[in-house]
Amino acid sequence: MKSIIETILAHNEISESKISQILSCSCPKGIDYSDVYFEYSSSESWSIEDGIVKNGTSIIDSGVGIRSISGEKTGFAYSNTFGLDNLLSAAKMSRSIASFGKEEPFSIRDKVNFKKLYSSSSPLEKVSDTVKVEFLKKIDSYIRKKDNLVDQVIVNLAASHTSMLVVNSDGMRAQDDRPLVRFNVMVILKKGKRRERGSAGGGGRFHYDEIFADEFSNKFADEAIRQARVNLDAVEAKAGMTTVVLGPGWPGVLLHEAIGHGLEGDFNRKKTSAYSNLIGQKVASSNCTIVDDGTISSRRGSLSVDDEGSPTEETVLIENGILKGYMQDKLNAKLMKTKSTGNGRRESYAHLPMPRMTNTFMMAGPDDPEEIISSVKNGIYAVNFSGGQVDITNGQFVFTASEAYLIENRKITSPIKGMTLIGNGPEILKKVSMIGNDLKLDDGVGTCGKDGQSVPVGVGQPTLKIDEITVGGTKV
Amino acid sequence: MSSLSGKASTYKNQILKILSKTSKDIQASFHLNISNGLTVNCRSGELENIENQNDTGLSIEVFYNNRKGTASTNDLSLDSIEKTLSKASNIAKHTQADSCQGLPSESYIKEESGNLGIYFPVDIKMDEIIELTKSCEAAAFEKDDRIKNSEGSSFTKSENETMLLNSEGLFGYYKSTHYSLSCIVLANEGDSMERDYWYSSTREFNKLEHAREVGQRAASRASSRLNAKPISSRVCPVIFPPEVATSLIGNLLSGINGHSIYKKSSFLIDSLGKDIFPEFVCITENPNIPNAMGSRPFDDDGVLTQKKNIIEKGRLMTFLLDTYSARKLNEKCTGNGVITNITVESKKNKNANLIKMVDEGIIITEMMGSGANLLTGDYSRGAFGFYFKDGEIKYPVTGITVASNLTQMFNNILEIGSDVDFRGNIRTGSILVDNVTIGGT
Repeated sequence: MKSIIETILAHNEISESKISQILSCSCPKGIDYSDVYFEYSSSESWSIEDGIVKNGTSIIDSGVGIRSISGEKTGFAYSNTFGLDNLLSAAKMSRSIASFGKEEPFSIRDKVNFKKLYSSSSPLEKVSDTVKVEFLKKIDSYIRKKDNLVDQVIVNLAASHTSMLVVNSDGMRAQDDRPLVRFNVMVILKKGKRRERGSAGGGGRFHYDEIFADEFSNKFADEAIRQARVNLDAVEAKAGMTTVVLGPGWPGVLLHEAIGHGLEGDFNRKKTSAYSNLIGQKVASSNCTIVDDGTISSRRGSLSVDDEGSPTEETVLIENGILKGYMQDKLNAKLMKTKSTGNGRRESYAHLPMPRMTNTFMMAGPDDPEEIISSVKNGIYAVNFSGGQVDITNGQFVFTASEAYLIENRKITSPIKGMTLIGNGPEILKKVSMIGNDLKLDDGVGTCGKDGQSVPVGVGQPTLKIDEITVGGTKV
Repeated sequence: MSSLSGKASTYKNQILKILSKTSKDIQASFHLNISNGLTVNCRSGELENIENQNDTGLSIEVFYNNRKGTASTNDLSLDSIEKTLSKASNIAKHTQADSCQGLPSESYIKEESGNLGIYFPVDIKMDEIIELTKSCEAAAFEKDDRIKNSEGSSFTKSENETMLLNSEGLFGYYKSTHYSLSCIVLANEGDSMERDYWYSSTREFNKLEHAREVGQRAASRASSRLNAKPISSRVCPVIFPPEVATSLIGNLLSGINGHSIYKKSSFLIDSLGKDIFPEFVCITENPNIPNAMGSRPFDDDGVLTQKKNIIEKGRLMTFLLDTYSARKLNEKCTGNGVITNITVESKKNKNANLIKMVDEGIIITEMMGSGANLLTGDYSRGAFGFYFKDGEIKYPVTGITVASNLTQMFNNILEIGSDVDFRGNIRTGSILVDNVTIGGT
């Protein structure tokens, strides 16, 4: 069966020989490399708020991105339409990055082989709109019945399907169809004058039916209520350095910020990262092993093949504390004389690919999570985070807790208000003193932003103890 | 006058043709954006990237018996517009009725807008752009020999067209241009490596800050950060320079947005008519400032934008309402389906020197992370800054957090400087806030 993008190309009479013609134009003598990326993406979202399914949105975005690379220089242009004339004119804009010679005949030699990690079919077409609306109403009423303090409920349901084809001047072609679904619940509880929020959600590269299962959706609804309940009793936290234990799963956003971005190939080629030139050196406690793995079936951060047509891999970034490798796309790999690790990703046809993370996580360690907590006399136990940011040059990173507790006298006690933690990546990774045996990946709602491009990612970790990190509380 | 471009007028005719065939049961609104532009990056004295941008997007909102559906596409063929309209109509048949839904019923735009002073197209040769961009980065390297690496300098230009049409006869159209020049450099000394940037952003190419100045300011900012130290936790006065202060004002604007109010998800739901800033603080909105980033003749629903006082003598005078949230709250729409130009002023002392007003404190030049909770006002973010004492900057500080509550921070403003940043749509000087908790060692 033909993919959506191949059907569209056929409809627009863009045959293999026409694609070859475009590549001859975008990669004449003097240009090192070129690729043409065709994409058709459809997405939708539905939401309920105030008990009413108020709006549904459908988005179609399609086009073709063409880039030409010469040394460190990249030319890029794209077209919203699939007509040959528009594509040839984009190819001409793209190649003008460098002085070039004659056009040469070009032919597509082979298909990239890779393992499919998810279904090719679109999640948008399998379920009727009525079923989606009824599902949102069901979750809304489930939450309202469950807790009498509910003041507001917002539930979102979203799905997308991207059909892509990339052909490059090495003569290789790769085609992939990518489903993605996501479900989010936000609850506000009101007790007296105080109002607090809880949110939860999950998703991945599968279809709506998994989300519609009660055990999936009710779990997140319960979780949002539980978090808001906890926050209703949260007290102010003290500012300053303290010991922090991070729960398993989503707190892995720590690794994404503290180390992940700093190990992306572009920053290291340009030597703008705090981790530049540190391969083979000790950058974390010797119990830390961190990988980026794009090959896990059906996960939000996974890709069967990246946007440059390289199959994804499990890339070991840090092994027993030693820096092993960077995440690479083709451009940076070539300039650093290594191979792409399948991390070349782009938000859409209208954006240039760059090295991006897929699913980044720390491997499980030897310690019992309960023993980790009881090893802390006084500190903080943080289990949920709302996001983070990093300055890859000086290594400073932040991540913001949305659910955290005090550890007093080796026991978890009062919940504390959301606060930001700040640390220095290379220093903090050396202060990881205990690692739990409870590795967990997140539930599939993460999105990473870099240079204005957003891509879906995954994170994960076991329970971790950081001996010392600065906490942004309000009390002194 | 900004007359319709060839492309826009073709699309307008197509849309009108489709509207004339559309069933009278449905109301429809068409929002069209056309944008063409260019980004040029130079790094280490060489051209690095040229990205050509060329986008067209159409979003269609349909209302059917008080039910709403939205669909959008970037394929503007007649066939695709018809399919998108029918997709939006289908969605509107499945969503639930809400009597507040619908097209605006008053104060909406009916004709193309006159000269807003935000459209200045210019032809610049590629060689000239590359030279300009290179000279910006070169100035950074020349400024300070501790600038040893760079993420490059970048020039962007774009020409944009916005058109709105609906089935009730609403029609609005305007054009705008945007130019920017930025530079990101790294300073290095011993073990310390720091990165910072500067940029200029305007509607008119000739009004861009001089390329060499942009590079030099980026260099000074990066090198001033070198050898930053940690600092002990404390409660002290904090100065937020204009480029950081805009985020605090952004938090205010989100908190008084009609959608946050009706959803009861704002820390300011009970603040209308109350004093939420000291008496000397005034905040106004003006949608018609020539050359300004936020100038717009109409909002996302096609309602005419309006000049207004938001904060008068410290008091919150209005929420910011679009058509839907106004109906929801039973108030009059304020044309705030968009936020235009916001000006923050002090009526106390026009030439205050903030650093001399308090004995010591911290200037926060960068904030990181998303730690502003708009439901409770609780605030906790990562930061970089400079410790000052006796009117002088002493040393850079790193690894700190800034925490408080937005309600308290607004209330604790001691003064607003006259060093206004005109690059974005929020125009404020530095803001000095007392009693902010700094987390450190």
